[in-house]
Amino acid sequence: MSAISELSSIGRRKGPATPEEKRANRRDNKAAYIFLLPWLIGLVAITVGPMIMSLYLSFTDYNLLQPPEWVGLDNFTRMLGDARLHNSLRVTFTYVLVGVPMQLAVALLIALVLDKGLRGLPFYRSIFYLPSLLGGSVAVAILWKQIFGTSGLVNQVLAMFGVTGPGWISDPSTSLGSIILLHVWTFGSPMIIFLAGLRQIPNMYYEAAEVDGATTLQKFWRITLPMLSPIIFFNLVLQIIGSFQSFTQAFIVSGGNGGPSDSTMFFTLYLYQKGFGQFDMGYASAMAWFLLVIIGAFTAINFIASKYWVFYDD
Amino acid sequence: MPLFSRPASAASRGAAGAKSAQSRRGLRRIGAVAAAAAVVLALSACGGGAAPQSADGKVELRFSWWGGDKRAQLTQAAIAAFEAENPNIKIKPEFGDWSGYWDKLATQVAANDAPDIIQMDEKYITEYSSRGALLDLSKYDIDTSKFDEAALNAGKNEDGLTGIAAGINAATILANPAVFKAAGVEMPDDSTWTWEDFERISAEVTAKSPKGTYGAAAYGTDEASLGVWLRQNGKSLYTNDGKLGFEPSDIAEWWAFLKELSEKKAVPSASEVVEAEAAPLDQSGLATGKNGLAFWWSNQLPALEKAAGGELQILRFPSKTGSSADANLWYKASQFWSASSRTKHPEETAKFIDFLANNTKAGEALLADRGVYPNSDVRAAIEPKLTPADIKVVKFIDQIKGELGEAPAPPPKGAGAIQEIVKRYTSEVLFDRLSTEEAGKKAVDEMKSAIS
Repeated sequence: MSAISELSSIGRRKGPATPEEKRANRRDNKAAYIFLLPWLIGLVAITVGPMIMSLYLSFTDYNLLQPPEWVGLDNFTRMLGDARLHNSLRVTFTYVLVGVPMQLAVALLIALVLDKGLRGLPFYRSIFYLPSLLGGSVAVAILWKQIFGTSGLVNQVLAMFGVTGPGWISDPSTSLGSIILLHVWTFGSPMIIFLAGLRQIPNMYYEAAEVDGATTLQKFWRITLPMLSPIIFFNLVLQIIGSFQSFTQAFIVSGGNGGPSDSTMFFTLYLYQKGFGQFDMGYASAMAWFLLVIIGAFTAINFIASKYWVFYDD
Repeated sequence: MPLFSRPASAASRGAAGAKSAQSRRGLRRIGAVAAAAAVVLALSACGGGAAPQSADGKVELRFSWWGGDKRAQLTQAAIAAFEAENPNIKIKPEFGDWSGYWDKLATQVAANDAPDIIQMDEKYITEYSSRGALLDLSKYDIDTSKFDEAALNAGKNEDGLTGIAAGINAATILANPAVFKAAGVEMPDDSTWTWEDFERISAEVTAKSPKGTYGAAAYGTDEASLGVWLRQNGKSLYTNDGKLGFEPSDIAEWWAFLKELSEKKAVPSASEVVEAEAAPLDQSGLATGKNGLAFWWSNQLPALEKAAGGELQILRFPSKTGSSADANLWYKASQFWSASSRTKHPEETAKFIDFLANNTKAGEALLADRGVYPNSDVRAAIEPKLTPADIKVVKFIDQIKGELGEAPAPPPKGAGAIQEIVKRYTSEVLFDRLSTEEAGKKAVDEMKSAIS
């Protein structure tokens, strides 16, 4: 809504408005609302409406086929005793807490290399960005499944060295790792943002440091990282929010069941199974709101912690 | 002359200015109304509320089923035959794989957008019937006089006749003779074999085959083979009052035998079992020549033969005693024709289901893809049209008629969740993450709460 209030304040001037001006303002407001209408309808019908509905459903027993029945906090208390839900939380937290830092580290590393001013930089930039465009797609997840299958590419290469690899995706001890790897591989979009951030750091700091005899590592720790910290923070917040909600990779790679033995049962996947597979949409809605709270808490912690490590150069 | 000449009013802002501003405002208002109307129209188009009946009295019905390419071709042919006889009814097909089918159907039903004709499975029919989503077909003009009685009863429940059996099926083991031949192992005699034979023969095939080929596919990816095992041990999947018909120790034994099979390499490794679960029918181990034996429903033989590009054989399940009468098989309604209770055209929907169930032309199109025809007249009439693969299926169904056990209790509400539970704990067991006893206990707990 802030966009609208801003828009209407543009036309406003200090001092009492003449009736003519008031009319013009109203006209402008009306025009603004009309231009916003398609988006507003989209927001209400596709985002806010369903969200309110799901908040209501989270307090009901709703099996999709019959009207929902009010059960109060039942769904939430059920979540306390649901071992599979706890497992799905463990899987999701592992994915986020391992996958996101790894992905950002790789993104930063590649960005640093590219920032050295390679020839053909736009080409490399595009190549490295490509996985990000493809990573969330169904096709790549299927490809991943082939590469990491029992007789897939990875094991064929390992076999050349006389190593018999496990079924990376079909073995519960390595399946989550394979999906985290897929996530790390899609480092392109944080990389592009890092690259832009690196370009913003004034060269004079490095020059001054060189005069003082700083090593490359010192320059990285003392200049690059602090100067880049707002960008790192931005990427961190974005990636954490995104990773908590990731669904496609696990859905495709595990064939929709989060297997083997729930080792890739992400929270969102379990939510989907509950809602659409087991006719338990009330419970699934409660889970969705719980996830919102988790993501909100993580984001809040991120912002509070940022005071201690993010450095703004202004 | 410029193509878009400036209107005179815009050029001469003066006395006429006020008036032109007013007319502009009017135009703008019209524009706003038009934009709003367009949005509203676009939204209502998504709602899909209106009955799809055009002015000339043509009715369009949506018909959804699960299955592969072969089934799609045969079913389209049946639809074409129906439309030729009923030019006023148009059937719009919607089909996909089993795995996505139920998610989609649940969503459609919830959105009040269910297809008119629904291919239904016994695992879900109680779920949908008891919640009022399916039409009681006994109230409509569908002839069931020529139906096999057991098949007809399978579609009846407290809520009426909510499904018409599309075919008769039996749980079987399908064998790929090419794998046996390559390994130099003789095919088992299915009228006398025991589970020990199954284990010995499968292990022998694996030992004599190239790496990656196994004597048998693992069971445990669904509850059908568990049902056979339980029946042979005097138990059952479900009881008639809708409870579980077995104890944790029963299912633990079943897994213990699977582990034994796995240790003797009679069946693929745990990882390969997990990978095979996700494969569609035409990439299954049996179709690709990686398994000598595998667990399938009888009606799936023609499609599997087509995918395998060679002949397959239907075998009875092994028994504990080596007598085929103790294999305790049963006839299952392979699937049902059901109708949405919210269909706007129940008469036409019933007419189409009647056509599928009783019309020879439908039979000639569908053959034995959905199992052996439950209507005896159609079954006899289409006999000359059957392919060699279909004939094998029909023969097998006839052959076991005298050996069948009691008809199993129908799956209760919530039974749709059982397969996933079985599958999950099977991999827990195969990967040594749980002992068979622990898995049995946990699985039974989960199953109980799923169907309660």
